Amino acid sequence: MDTRLSDLLAALPAEDRAEEIFDSEGAQERLKAIFADLAYRPVPVHSLHRLWTLSELSVQITLAYMSLWFRQLTADAETRQQRAMETNLRVALKMVHRLGYLRGAATKLGQALGALPEVMPRQIASTLDMLHFQAPPMHFSLLREAVRNELGKDPIEVFATFDKEPFAAASIGQVHRATLKSGQAVAVKIQYPGIARAVEADLRNLMALMFPMRLTRQWESAKEQCRAIQEMLHQELDYVREAQNMREADALFAPEEGIVIPRVFDEVSTARILTTEFIPGLQLNDFLASDPPQSLRDSFGEKIARIYYRMCFASLNYGDPHSGNFVFMDHGRLGLLDFGCVQHFSSQEREVFPLVEAFVDDPTLLPKVLLDGGFATEADLTNEDFMKVFEQYWSWFAEPERFDGAFDFGDESFFKRGIERTRDVLLKGYTAGAPMYVYLSRSFFGHRALLLRLRSCFNERALYRQEVATRLAREGKG
Amino acid sequence: MRITAEAKTATRERIIEVAARLFTKEGWENTTTRGIAVAAGIATGTLFNYFESKEAIVAALISEALERAEEEIQKRDDESLEEELFTFIWTELASLREYRKFLAAAAETILSPLRRYARKSPGDSIRTNHLEAVEQILAAHGVPAPVPTVTMQLYWTLYLGVFGHWATDDSPKQEDTMALLDQTLKLFIAALPRSGGDTHGHQIK
Repeated sequence: MDTRLSDLLAALPAEDRAEEIFDSEGAQERLKAIFADLAYRPVPVHSLHRLWTLSELSVQITLAYMSLWFRQLTADAETRQQRAMETNLRVALKMVHRLGYLRGAATKLGQALGALPEVMPRQIASTLDMLHFQAPPMHFSLLREAVRNELGKDPIEVFATFDKEPFAAASIGQVHRATLKSGQAVAVKIQYPGIARAVEADLRNLMALMFPMRLTRQWESAKEQCRAIQEMLHQELDYVREAQNMREADALFAPEEGIVIPRVFDEVSTARILTTEFIPGLQLNDFLASDPPQSLRDSFGEKIARIYYRMCFASLNYGDPHSGNFVFMDHGRLGLLDFGCVQHFSSQEREVFPLVEAFVDDPTLLPKVLLDGGFATEADLTNEDFMKVFEQYWSWFAEPERFDGAFDFGDESFFKRGIERTRDVLLKGYTAGAPMYVYLSRSFFGHRALLLRLRSCFNERALYRQEVATRLAREGKG
Repeated sequence: MRITAEAKTATRERIIEVAARLFTKEGWENTTTRGIAVAAGIATGTLFNYFESKEAIVAALISEALERAEEEIQKRDDESLEEELFTFIWTELASLREYRKFLAAAAETILSPLRRYARKSPGDSIRTNHLEAVEQILAAHGVPAPVPTVTMQLYWTLYLGVFGHWATDDSPKQEDTMALLDQTLKLFIAALPRSGGDTHGHQIK
């Protein structure tokens, strides 16, 4: 199938006809065509069910879709249409199930939804529940030939030592420990052959499947969001881009700040292989199991918050702050891994930062922030309920930034309040906005969830102000 | 005048080399044994002393690749059945990489599953040698002998599918075929009779 997503997007009618699209014969035909195409795919047999070692990317794809699905589900209250939507969603999920490497995503998503069952219609949750995923690694022969394809030599020739067993699953491949001939310990991330192109092709199909399902008024913004997601995924598949992200991020932190971003070894890296410095340390679970003192919990939490603000303000938003990407090192240093999901903002998008800063200082500026930031229309501002929901949501966001003194992120009721308020925004379909918010909100929630698990307590207000000052200094406005 | 063994080998190699060049340049269909003989600077009759047809020349190329694949798996010692089969097939395909352009066309006649198998045809020798090598690999990994005919036929069918995909695969360095081979071998291994006397093999769902 050679159809490009951009062609499909261009061919779609304008937003006021969105409902017709859903019912139109054209949409039905398009769906049929997609499924006819899928019918040619091999049906998974036995171990093929568990072929792919994939997690992060798939989770990202699915979560990103979810943000769209949420809106589809909630933007139109009419029951008949909602039911039709759920049916289509189930169809889409079955399709996800057949695309081997997305299955892991579906499972993780199912687990996430298990925690928030009231957000999703019950049927959808139960469909997700039935999906299972367990992935064996690429065996060494396949891996060796994949490396030979990329670097022209066997891994045992390229490296001084090379562990045959992977030590971690990567988004679309796996990670092996190795040593360079210089003696440097490294982590080598290797993609499953052909997966990048397969993911992109399937993504086009999934996108095409989703478009007839669109019912909301916010058609244009959905298109933009899809473009943003596509761009992010494209980046995830290309390790050259990821290496570039790592170098840019590394330049943002001074050594004394104790934030460690692994060095990239270009001579043994390609678009499909990424060789980086190995970062020794503990994963979050092991760190917590070691019963760390409060002071260490606080300082690590502070580093996580600093990473979030520093990178976000530098237009390198760390889009996937889940615990597996953080390494708790010795001497209180924090290592940061996986830069495949880094969001770059346009100069226009960056204009939202001063607005948010103004709001943190002065809550009465909310309407202006919402309007100028593209979160709301003039009409929304006169909608009392809309304003109430957003007031609560944004106040939650700004609460630690406004609190004078050490803020306790370990307070579960605080985090729960955030979830409830986010749910209100989602359920009411108030989530229109620029594409940047898909990942921005995820990274924001992700880092606060980490602070909760760490039970960190520190002065976020002071940290936030320092980071704003750093941003202004970088932009020459300090 | 007696022709030394070295000279014979050299002529044979030259014929294969010249033929491969012509197949690539002129196309499989457009190349004749006569054309090959002329380009190799020998009489057509001499060429027939070495190869009975252009199919036989391609068969020689493929069997050289097969030998390299067998040597390769000797070098690797600690691999599972799946890994060893993967190395075996991929090494063979990788060493034929430069001939892909004409192998697709040549394989249509030589390796077609629809062709009638005749005694001592080049296609049959490729098939027999390949399957013998595979049976040895299976035996080395404890698959009880004799392997049922249907199992070997399944292997050959899958192999031809992978070969056909590879010959026309336009993905970078045939990475799609690499993935296909990985998945295909999982399928084949799932269909193998297990050691311990289950002579009926396992049903393929």
